[in-house]
Amino acid sequence: MLLFGQILVNGILLGGLYGLMGLGMGLVWGVLKIVNLAHGALIMLGGYALYYLYTGAHIDPFLALPVAMILLFALGYVLQMFLLNLIVRSAQLNTLLITFGLDVVFVYMAQLLFSADFRTINPPYAGSNVNFFGVVVPYVQLASFIVAVVLASLLFLALDKTRTGRAIRATAQNLVAARLYGVNPKRIYAITFGTGAALAGAAGGLYGIVSQITPYIGVTLTAKSFVIAILGGLDKPIGVVFGGLILGIAEAMASLYLDPTYTDIISFGLLVVVLVARPAQLVGRA
Amino acid sequence: MRRMIIPVLAAAIALAGSASAQERQITLGAAVQLTGRQANTGRYYGDAYLMAVDHINQKGGVTVGGTKYKLALRVLDSQSDVNLGVRQYVQLLTQDKVNFLLGPFSSNDALDDSSVAEKYQVPMVQGGGASTQIFSRGYKYVFGTLPPADDYFASTIKMMGQLDPKPKAVALIAADDSFDVSVANGTRKLLKEAGLELVVDKQFRENNAEFSSILSLTKSKNPDVILWAGHEGEALNFIRQAKSLDVSPKMLWSFTVGVPTADFRKALGADANYTFGMTPWLPDKSLKDDWFGDADAFAKEYQQRFKYAPDYHAASAVACVETFAKAITAAGTIDPKKVRDELAKVDFQSLYGHIKFQPNGQISLAQTVIQIQEGKVVPVFSESFLGKPLYPMAGWAKR
Repeated sequence: MLLFGQILVNGILLGGLYGLMGLGMGLVWGVLKIVNLAHGALIMLGGYALYYLYTGAHIDPFLALPVAMILLFALGYVLQMFLLNLIVRSAQLNTLLITFGLDVVFVYMAQLLFSADFRTINPPYAGSNVNFFGVVVPYVQLASFIVAVVLASLLFLALDKTRTGRAIRATAQNLVAARLYGVNPKRIYAITFGTGAALAGAAGGLYGIVSQITPYIGVTLTAKSFVIAILGGLDKPIGVVFGGLILGIAEAMASLYLDPTYTDIISFGLLVVVLVARPAQLVGRA
Repeated sequence: MRRMIIPVLAAAIALAGSASAQERQITLGAAVQLTGRQANTGRYYGDAYLMAVDHINQKGGVTVGGTKYKLALRVLDSQSDVNLGVRQYVQLLTQDKVNFLLGPFSSNDALDDSSVAEKYQVPMVQGGGASTQIFSRGYKYVFGTLPPADDYFASTIKMMGQLDPKPKAVALIAADDSFDVSVANGTRKLLKEAGLELVVDKQFRENNAEFSSILSLTKSKNPDVILWAGHEGEALNFIRQAKSLDVSPKMLWSFTVGVPTADFRKALGADANYTFGMTPWLPDKSLKDDWFGDADAFAKEYQQRFKYAPDYHAASAVACVETFAKAITAAGTIDPKKVRDELAKVDFQSLYGHIKFQPNGQISLAQTVIQIQEGKVVPVFSESFLGKPLYPMAGWAKR
């Protein structure tokens, strides 16, 4: 029973981080209809940004997280404004191709600049934990879970309450009507993609704290984010966090009660189940 | 890829100027993980091949039937993609017409790539695949300079028998790729022979980043020892997550990879202390070599040239090139079949150790048990104790 409780806690904490990974993917997908294959690469770049802020500028990783997010926002904004806006309304294959190309460019740039060495963001308190009646809760994982939930809530509020947020939703729902009301879709797209990149950056930083960064972590994370975004649905940010939780718990349970080699079967099996049972998820109603 | 070829070409051209106008050349080809997931270890092979070829050429090259030949190198980047690697090996033989093959890193790659060597009957000497699977297929053209994966934990288990207190319960955690499956199979047998109890025996998915479930299970079984087999990146995650979940074996843990590598210790910092591992090679002056002097001189020059320290992968890769040089000279020809027969007979001392293949094509070398003590790699045990182990290891709370 204690083991079950521990595994459940592990799954939930992992799921929070997964949710954050899926959040940026889901936002960009839902609003821009771009399945961003470079999402994992943005996560990786966020990880490096935080790594250098911590090891180079000696800023505590959790305090430096907003800085990494701003950097990634700027990158995302520029990418969308000057590159992706050119093809955002063309066939989906084009957006897939261009984001795939971006992924390749980012990964190889990262190897040139940062080498293939394993990097970890290892503040002195990484690895410390608190024990609740025999169930160990690692502080850093707990903190990253909280950050994920806070960011999802902020995103929800921003989309719901702010003018820009409403413009983003309006653009997603009806482009023509939004334009008639004076929304500049290019700018809105750039803000949306930038926000997606910033969320990826936050996820990457946290990933570097609980796991490790190499130029090659992105591919797996793009696939995971894809699954999570679909599991959670593209309409509400909090749904994506739930998608992450479901995946995190399912993987943790499967590792223990089935076999640890089954984790990929579980995540992609879940994807197939959702696609069969709720095909509307794919269309997205942001 | 270009990075590799240009210096070799430059060296070849420079040397060609001073030597005879008509330079005879033997080309060695390999597809190595210079980029991609395994680039971190793959680079040892690319860099070490380059250095070995340069050194052999500086000392006059290889004598074949009284004529001097220079060595040339053609290294392709397999991007850590096994299938691409196989295609590149075919390309090396059919289009680039290289004379002989060197290997990639990792058992999964070597397992598939070596089939190309066998099919075209061109010998491959590879220093990156230790899985016994590679050598159990009756192949004639594949030779390996890493000791068999089955025996990676042999010296560690022998040491465990001589430690006080003596460990009893063992957890075995291994990845599901060719190398680690071999390690796990061999280790189970060794543990049984040593009369140790296996309380956890779990396999995980290769390239898995998440160990919390396995760690929690392991903690609930409270083992004396954790023996772990996988890739370096996974080892890092395992140790970091073990700390955050407060999981620690009562007496020791040992990892097949990472421990001899500088990058690994840097990423973990103080958390790497107490960790045991193994290596078939240490940069020791006692390992004499015809081309480099000794292993220590090699390690220093390598560090200076490539700005990172070599580990056994690099030494094993150098040994592959040297093995070809010896075998080609002995054969007196570059005919692949005759060189293959000489490879089966080589018997010489290299900076990596004594090179002599068993009938299946694999080398036999003892693994020295090493431990990270205050950030440094300390040799602890081979046949007997070489140094004092920090034992039993302290739990996370007491560090």
